[in-house]
Amino acid sequence: MTSAATSPSPLVAVEQMYFHYPRARITAGGAGWTLQDISLTIDLKSTVGIVGESGSGKSTLIRVMCGLLRHQQGNVRFNGKDITEYQGDGANELRRQNQIVFQNPRRSLDPRMTIRRSLTEPIRALQQRTPDDDELVSSIKRVGLGPEVLSRFPHQLSGGQLQRVGIARSLSVNPTILYADEPVSALDVSVQAQVLNLLMDLRDQMGLTLVMVSHDLGVVSRMCEHIVVMRHGHIVEAGRTSDVLSRPSSDYTATLLKAARAASLERS
Amino acid sequence: MLHLRNLRVTIDDYEIINIDDLALQPGARLGLVGESGSGKTMTAKAIAGLLPNEAKVSGEVNFDGQNLLTLGDRDLAKVRGKRIGFVFQDPARSLNPMMRIGKQVSEAIRIHTNLKGQAVTDKVVDLLRQVQLPEPETLLRRYPHQLSGGQQQRVMIAAAIAADPDLLIADEPTTALDVTVQEEILRLLISLSEQRKMSLLFVSHDLGVVRFVCNQVAVIYGGNIVEAGNIDNIINRPQHRYTAALLAANPGMPKDDNFSAFIGRRLQTITGSVPPVGRFPSGCRFRNRCQHASEKCATTPPITVSASDHRYLCWHPEQGGQS
Repeated sequence: MTSAATSPSPLVAVEQMYFHYPRARITAGGAGWTLQDISLTIDLKSTVGIVGESGSGKSTLIRVMCGLLRHQQGNVRFNGKDITEYQGDGANELRRQNQIVFQNPRRSLDPRMTIRRSLTEPIRALQQRTPDDDELVSSIKRVGLGPEVLSRFPHQLSGGQLQRVGIARSLSVNPTILYADEPVSALDVSVQAQVLNLLMDLRDQMGLTLVMVSHDLGVVSRMCEHIVVMRHGHIVEAGRTSDVLSRPSSDYTATLLKAARAASLERS
Repeated sequence: MLHLRNLRVTIDDYEIINIDDLALQPGARLGLVGESGSGKTMTAKAIAGLLPNEAKVSGEVNFDGQNLLTLGDRDLAKVRGKRIGFVFQDPARSLNPMMRIGKQVSEAIRIHTNLKGQAVTDKVVDLLRQVQLPEPETLLRRYPHQLSGGQQQRVMIAAAIAADPDLLIADEPTTALDVTVQEEILRLLISLSEQRKMSLLFVSHDLGVVRFVCNQVAVIYGGNIVEAGNIDNIINRPQHRYTAALLAANPGMPKDDNFSAFIGRRLQTITGSVPPVGRFPSGCRFRNRCQHASEKCATTPPITVSASDHRYLCWHPEQGGQS
């Protein structure tokens, strides 16, 4: 998210990337693409917020960047290497380093698995080892939960606790970059603040790169130094959050900001 | 015009709502703010007589001098939909996907007015225009899936105001919408309420949205109205610890556009989570999550009414009761 001069090798580099979902009809005019002409870079240990209306392609973009979806045109590089070249053990390593936290923690954890097993799975799959109890306990403590949670099932936990488990699960394989797709929008207002603070604390402690999709400009302007504004599959505007939001260069960002301000509390 | 007194709703011996006094004046816009499980939607449903069969209701829902709880189905039907309109959260689920827009709005007109034939169509067109939908004549023939979420919500509002209600109850009407569309719908609700002198009961989890729309607010937690009064008073000088905590936990937007000072700022948190329905503590509902709770809080706090009708239920108010 900074110029090439200050950062010769960004962690993630996307160049003129295009993506469409299967069976989309691409017209000569460019209709049908979910993402069009996306170029952006993400530096190691930076925090990036992706905002835009529903259907603008925010969630699709982070799925392409972390390798869950495969783009059709352009390049996506992770650590300087094209993500299509991560094969075999390399693919596992790519997944280990790119972890994602989803919006609805209840839907992203297997209801039939204990939390212990849910936390064990990614370590087994990506690192081919079985974690001992100490490791799981410290993993769950890191997100502010007690060890008693390990033997529980998802239905026995609240939404906020489950989202903490989701975060613990993503961090269990020690990723370089954490993608969070609307991590608090399914949570109660009084619980959202806990999870947002937790993400900020963990980012600082673990030196994580954090990429967060959010519809809430207030949350993004609090948490993310950099912002990407998306609309209709394009990047409308990107840059340092304080610059973009203080002096938006596009009408769309200005409209978004005005609407967010109207329906938000002012906080100093 | 609307006055709830000693409204108590229980389901399977769990107390869902216990509101001893909540009033809405003609033309006022009251925000009912709460988290999931707080009882805000149940309160709206209790007013509308739409509670599930297993719910036991006692107390009074006075609307223009009548207690709606004592009305039979037939009399209630004359009030509901006609004098009280409703708008719900998800317009896509509230509209019939098989029915053209014109027909859905005209249904409300046919049921609640004496209009017939062309007069009904004219009224539909007029209503769609009032909710600022473009080309109402063409829109009549469309099906809900051909409209955007914001347009669908406008259609719902058109149907809700078809019979010129005195009160509109809107339950999270913009939660499913994008922020820019949200602002348009909120402005529409404000202008309709002003033009028509229509009261608005606006149910929401979001204090920022409520501040934009409403002039009064009631904060509900564990089925109790813990604090109520003028919106600016409550946002600037909350008395109940829950209201204060909820305000502090709200991410908000930076004052004076000072984005660079905002970055990295932690939020104040509220410990724990909202208990499941029926598991709230006795006395003050919030006491197990409150940093200021004492033994006294196990008994129900009295209602304190301070200047300008700011009322709250708290033993240890935020500013020592100075509002």
